Amino acid sequence: MATKTANQARPSAQLRRAFATPMGLVALICLALVLFLAAFGPFIWGEASQTRDLTNLSGGPSAEHWAGTDAGGRDMLARVLVASRLSIMMALESTAISLVVGLILGSAPIILGRRVGRVVNWFIGIAVAFPGLLLALFFAVVFGSGAHQAAVAIGLAGGPSFARLCQTLIAGVLGRDYVAAAKVGGVGRFRLFGRHVLPNIGEPLVVNATIGAGNALLAFASLSFLGLGVQMPQFDWGRLLKECLEQQFRFHPLASLTPGYFVVVAGLAFSLTGESIARAMSFTSLGDLGLRGKARRRAAQLAAVADAARAPDTASATVPDAVLTVRDLTVTFPAGPGEVRPVRGVSFDIGPGEAVGLVGESGSGKSLTALAVAGLIESPGRVAATELGFLGEDLSRDGAGAHRRLLGTSLAMVFQDPMSSLNPTQKVGHQLAELAHEHGDLSWRQAQARAVDRLAAVRLPEAKRRAKQYPHEYSGGMRQRAMIGLGVMLTPKLIIADEPTTALDVTVQEQVLDLLQAIRREDGVALLFISHDVSVVGDICDRVMVMYAGRIVETLPVTRLHGGAAHPYTRALVAAVPTMATDLDQPLPTIPGRPVEPAEVPPGCAFAARCPLADARCREQEPALEPWLDGQVACWRPVGADTPATAATLGGPRLGAVPTARRAVKETVETTRVAARGAVDQAKAAARDAAGQVRDALRSAADQTRRAVLGEEEGPTEPGHEEAQP
Amino acid sequence: MSTLRFDHITVRFGTGRHAITAVNDVSLTVPHGTVVGLVGESGSGKSTLARVAVGLVPAAAGAITLDGRPVPRKGAGRPLQMVFQDPNSSLDPRMTVGEAIGEITPRGLTAAERQADVARLLELVHLDPARAGAYPGQLSGGQRQRVALARALAGRPSVLIADEITSSLDVSIQGAVLNLVRELQAELDLTMLFISHNLAVVRYVASRVAVMYQGQIVEEGPAEQVLAQPEHPYTRRLLAAIPGEGTRQGQGSERHRTPSELTEGEPND
Ligand SMILES: Nc1ncnc2c1ncn2[C@@H]1O[C@H](COP(=O)(O)OP(=O)(O)O)[C@@H](O)[C@H]1O
Ligand code: SF4
Ligand SMILES: [Mg+2]
Repeated sequence: MATKTANQARPSAQLRRAFATPMGLVALICLALVLFLAAFGPFIWGEASQTRDLTNLSGGPSAEHWAGTDAGGRDMLARVLVASRLSIMMALESTAISLVVGLILGSAPIILGRRVGRVVNWFIGIAVAFPGLLLALFFAVVFGSGAHQAAVAIGLAGGPSFARLCQTLIAGVLGRDYVAAAKVGGVGRFRLFGRHVLPNIGEPLVVNATIGAGNALLAFASLSFLGLGVQMPQFDWGRLLKECLEQQFRFHPLASLTPGYFVVVAGLAFSLTGESIARAMSFTSLGDLGLRGKARRRAAQLAAVADAARAPDTASATVPDAVLTVRDLTVTFPAGPGEVRPVRGVSFDIGPGEAVGLVGESGSGKSLTALAVAGLIESPGRVAATELGFLGEDLSRDGAGAHRRLLGTSLAMVFQDPMSSLNPTQKVGHQLAELAHEHGDLSWRQAQARAVDRLAAVRLPEAKRRAKQYPHEYSGGMRQRAMIGLGVMLTPKLIIADEPTTALDVTVQEQVLDLLQAIRREDGVALLFISHDVSVVGDICDRVMVMYAGRIVETLPVTRLHGGAAHPYTRALVAAVPTMATDLDQPLPTIPGRPVEPAEVPPGCAFAARCPLADARCREQEPALEPWLDGQVACWRPVGADTPATAATLGGPRLGAVPTARRAVKETVETTRVAARGAVDQAKAAARDAAGQVRDALRSAADQTRRAVLGEEEGPTEPGHEEAQP
Repeated sequence: MSTLRFDHITVRFGTGRHAITAVNDVSLTVPHGTVVGLVGESGSGKSTLARVAVGLVPAAAGAITLDGRPVPRKGAGRPLQMVFQDPNSSLDPRMTVGEAIGEITPRGLTAAERQADVARLLELVHLDPARAGAYPGQLSGGQRQRVALARALAGRPSVLIADEITSSLDVSIQGAVLNLVRELQAELDLTMLFISHNLAVVRYVASRVAVMYQGQIVEEGPAEQVLAQPEHPYTRRLLAAIPGEGTRQGQGSERHRTPSELTEGEPND
């Protein structure tokens, strides 16, 4: 979902989306009407606009003449309708001129080389700074009056802003590796421009030209109104407006503005249509760049878990103190006439302080599972579950509003791309502080102090100075840490990290993993760690869940991940990762075939087509997730249960005599550890509650001064701060 | 024969006070027919070095030679080709696979010859030649990276530079791409500079390893030697950071696997 970029989606679908909004639809209908007028207006009303009604000179609106008549007794409305052709044609002509000028100037750096390009850029910079209308007036005076002269004037005046747009778009394309690849391959610059640049800036350019046509229409009407544009006997809307205001306004002020109404409607039709398409195709990303992270956070709070199915009370075996309990979670999207279900009934628990990994190839539904838990699936996606319990509240009941606060304060999400959560236009410290200020009852100053404290806690060097910087001044690893810092601003009980280190290199990855581990240890936070890389998950988690085609196919303790997994898919995933011990004389083990698409899940075991052990039963009946050793597996022929031949096919030591004494001891130790951590956790929670009560009591009675004192008292009640600092 | 040499290469970005030296006096030899692995963290200058070699970035000082002669940096048929990290970005979304590869094939081929060449190249990277008409959006990540490899090979390069070509792929696909790289290398006797931040990946394809840190090469030598007896502390840190090597949880020997656990015949592609 988040990984799919806008231009990968099908354009026709995007267009449909553009006009699915009320504004987009209205704009499109208006535009169609306007274009219809331009095409057929003169034929339909041509005659009517010539007929003089000499008994009714400069008349007001009447049943016969809706918009009144002009000084010559001609029907005003008919004249306005006829004028639409010239008005629209001239607007389009000047837009075309702007576009050509813009393309020529904007592409100069590619075609003419860097040095000439720099001069051109400099020139564009100056020209853009000039007010467009002033420029148009200047050119209009130079070229003299007349329709085409005015069109050229407006076109030239619009050139610089189109040049700037072209520059931005072209720079975006030039930054892509396919241009670099073409250059390295010896592709010449004209071909580069024609084959790679133009096709990739075409759509946004056309859309922006549509917006521009709206502006040109206004500008043209203005010139004509000033007498610089269309001259008698031709007339356009601007010219008519001038006449009307001179002849009619005194008597019939409202009717005399008729041409003006048309200008406004037609101008808006062009602009809004363009805007709608641009928004649907996310072209004008420059403008809404700053909104994305915010929108995502907001969505986090607002998204609907509401329409999750109202489940009958099943006596599900819920772990009593689990932080997160998920039963039979599904995520469904409409697709064409039917539906697809990328998450098909997922159940699991996460205990307090437990670190659970979720692995699988991309497209297996890991991210959607995480987003569903966080209430972040956006319409038209639907989430259903028989139980979705978070800290004792059932998120699948009641509206999302009821859980907003709980999710906002106790659940933290960390994404692969930190910029999805950080606002590029705000200082990092400010963003962290805002969160605590809004949700955490801290004064602004306290919130800021906590922001610095948390940035230090995530091992950001020079946290105080860094807090005053913008995200773009951070390196990738630092941004990732800042996002984790955002996550631990409030005291979360669960951190969901979706591929948090996939974009990082190994050394930075190691640091981020260490950090997550430290936060978990110090604050007893539970962690759901999502990755396609089993080896990373193995490094940080207690338990691993393996997902395939929207289902969990195996859960197992991490100690069993290497060599002891029962599901053929888990074993294949583990074997696919090269390590420092990989045999160099053999090809790397790979998983044949492709992951299953949600739209084409086969009957039987979804992995059957790629599984070396698959037999007839596998292809017909789907295996259920059943307890297996110290975990669960959904497979008819789990490795370790079968004949020795099975194990030989799959490699790795057989697990025939599995629970050795050593492992049993280890498990006991592990259980004790978790229990102990749970106890510590409860104690901490109790302490925090008590502190909270004292705080509330104080606050109700306290004045400003005492609140400041309280700020100092708060420190010790939140465990983990001090230790967290390096 | 084609031996690639970087001779005291320095690259600077920006001017004056803001100037950054991304590559600092680097000398490196990629001998004919071998794969040299270049490792280091992001920002250490690996990609910049690659981009200098193929002429995408100018060098402030130093020379790059191929068999002692300067590498041509203009025109068609360049002897150095490069494969980029992210196939989503390195393939033009509006060009079919066939067009993208055909664009780099040598000039002067007839349309039919070009088509045949494209088919041959697709075959070489284990893609169905019938996919020539597909757009990158219709392919999976691993298939896209194969197309990118085929395109680079279309230029008949003497030296191939692979810049983090598996970093944006799923681990399950990474294996197939690495196998392909080894296979192509053996088949075509390619000379290759293979860049990655993952030592385990580099170890699998490269016979020599160079370690880059803050714009400089801090260690270089035969792969076994550099990986088994790293001299530079930074190399040791890189080795420790490889995921799955069980350093983080302190669960002791349990997490260290024996080679036999890892290599016994898993299902193959
Ligand atoms: N908004 C959506 N509409 C339809 N299908 C979607 C949507 N988002 C994701 N999918 C599909 O759901 C499947 C699982 O996606 P995801 O959870 O992102 O997988 P993972 O995180 O495991 O890589 C994919 O096949 C993806 O194409
Ligand atoms: S159920 Fe059959 S096909 Fe599916 S993973 Fe198990 S053995 Fe393979
Ligand atoms: Mg994902």
